[in-house]
Amino acid sequence: MSLVLDVAAGAVGGGTSILYAALGETISERAGVINLGTEGCMLVGALTGYAVAAMTGNPWFGVVAGAGAGGALAALHAMLVIERKASQLASGLVMLFVGLGITSLFGGSFVSRTINAFTPIALPGLSKIPGLGKVLFDHDALTYLSFLMAPAIWWLLFRSRWGLLIRGAGERGEVLAAYGYSPKTIQYLAVVAGGALAGVGGAQLSTAYTNSWFEGMTAGRGFIAVALVIFAAWDPLKAIAGAYLFGAALALSPALQARGYALNQFALDALPYVITVLVLVVLSRKRLHAAPEGLIRTLANAPVR
Amino acid sequence: MGSIRVISSALRPPKLRSAGREAGRLALAFVGALTVFGAFVIAKGANPLTVYSDMVRSTFFNSNSVAGVLVKACPLILAALAVAVPARAGLVNVGGEGQIVIGAVAAGGVGLALDTHVSGGMVIILMLLAGAAAGAIWAGIAGVLRLTLRVNEAISTLLLNYVAIDILLYLIYQPWKDPHGSGQPVTRQLAVPARLPLVGGTQVHVGIFIAIIATLVIWFLMERTSWGFRLRVVGGNSEAARRAGLPVNKLLLSAMLVGGALAGLGGMVHFAGAELQLRAGMTANLGYIAFLASWLARHKPINVAIAALLLASIAVAGDSLQINSGLPAATVNVLMGLVLVAVMGGWELRRKAVAA
Repeated sequence: MSLVLDVAAGAVGGGTSILYAALGETISERAGVINLGTEGCMLVGALTGYAVAAMTGNPWFGVVAGAGAGGALAALHAMLVIERKASQLASGLVMLFVGLGITSLFGGSFVSRTINAFTPIALPGLSKIPGLGKVLFDHDALTYLSFLMAPAIWWLLFRSRWGLLIRGAGERGEVLAAYGYSPKTIQYLAVVAGGALAGVGGAQLSTAYTNSWFEGMTAGRGFIAVALVIFAAWDPLKAIAGAYLFGAALALSPALQARGYALNQFALDALPYVITVLVLVVLSRKRLHAAPEGLIRTLANAPVR
Repeated sequence: MGSIRVISSALRPPKLRSAGREAGRLALAFVGALTVFGAFVIAKGANPLTVYSDMVRSTFFNSNSVAGVLVKACPLILAALAVAVPARAGLVNVGGEGQIVIGAVAAGGVGLALDTHVSGGMVIILMLLAGAAAGAIWAGIAGVLRLTLRVNEAISTLLLNYVAIDILLYLIYQPWKDPHGSGQPVTRQLAVPARLPLVGGTQVHVGIFIAIIATLVIWFLMERTSWGFRLRVVGGNSEAARRAGLPVNKLLLSAMLVGGALAGLGGMVHFAGAELQLRAGMTANLGYIAFLASWLARHKPINVAIAALLLASIAVAGDSLQINSGLPAATVNVLMGLVLVAVMGGWELRRKAVAA
């Protein structure tokens, strides 16, 4: 396979877990809550998904359990920031440490277990399309699900009544309250949904992409997802492009090495972060304009009382 | 009416009784966290009482562990101050991890190039300068982006962490890799004269004095100089500060540079005092723990140092978990997280009490 197709297929496969987390974080941030604990939610999702898949023999149970675990950790974050008005950034980092700790406490016994993992399914017909078929239509079921998830969440946010409420909670909670809705409840639901999607992303990583569990396996993907949401201007469809860009950067160096090119892997690894900073620089005004107002208040707020 | 009451109660000097209540609440939060963590330990089939007594005994009643706490606290205190100074000006520095790494890389570059040519003391001074300068530059990038292009500094510092780690990895996998080593991606060890000297006959290096002095200097700058006062004004209301004629941009940048220099110093101290070589994962989330230490202490310099010391002792206690109870060392992150959850959960109650 040519290098381009190889990297493109790797980008889709490796970017899927990031995409799920970024979609979840988009919902959460649209409701005005940033969750740096996305990394922790992915970790607990990865372990729970792997453990349940190992115990039940069915990876789909694993995905559901992973979503539950990610959602539960996000619920703790939601409680701290919504009820207790804790700093969103600090609380998110606390969730990271809780996630790191819980997964190392309970993960040890699953390191050497094997599971019935998700296997790539070549879609009949579609996978035969030259080039594109191999890139898009020879993946695991969770990757196909993510193809549908991104537009579904776009529709949820921008075409449904629920989306209006979520965005309302993120822009002007008072207005929602005046109309008799509880902005707190909506924020809770959005943050938990975001954590659940991050959990699915983690489960995709462990039960479909690497087929293994090891400590700290998410390796910063959750942080990438948070950055990606800003890169994508809080738009689920643009998040697809961002996730695959990061996936491509991850896939490029092994693909080059396999062909005998001696490229320094770490210069390449740094690329997605540098690109994101540059994108923020180039589009900074526009991006800030697109940000939910509640989020701008959070990020710009003086943290000292 | 309510707002007048709030103002008047805020002006009243704090009472001893409320300080006692605060301490009581913190103790309660701590007990709550220990209880929940105990439940996790039971779920793993270990006895929480044994685990706790082992943790306390081996962390505080063992001179090596006490030394370990102090050694771990050195970079942590410095990196936590690196969060506190910008926070006073209303800036969020999540980049402690990257600033520590860059500080360690700069110190390592200078140290490993000169340690066999120049006297040890000279190398140490140059490493201190290089570490501080590199940290300041790394934080300064985020500061300049914020001031000129309005790129949010919380996000840019976070992203720059990963760039810094990739720079470290690049160097230790190729140009700086120890040619006489076992093939591991590490640099050679710093020569003995260039290492930070140990205090007395202990395992603690003089970095702890650097951390203590830095804490006192930052306290003085924050509480007793016009620079510190102006930073707080900018952090309170930057628009009002601008109208009052304060050079807001210069103040914000200075806060970021001082913060970065502190974290860079932390990286130098960590390298030249504890690690002695550059290796992957050498910072072990120190920057993020430091961020939480600063928040825990609400960015007050002396309290920040105490909080950093507390978190350092919890981190070191993790090693005893591994040795005595067979639980993975990273398990201690749960305990640290729960303590922070409990303390943060108690914050609003305190604010309500003030407003009433």
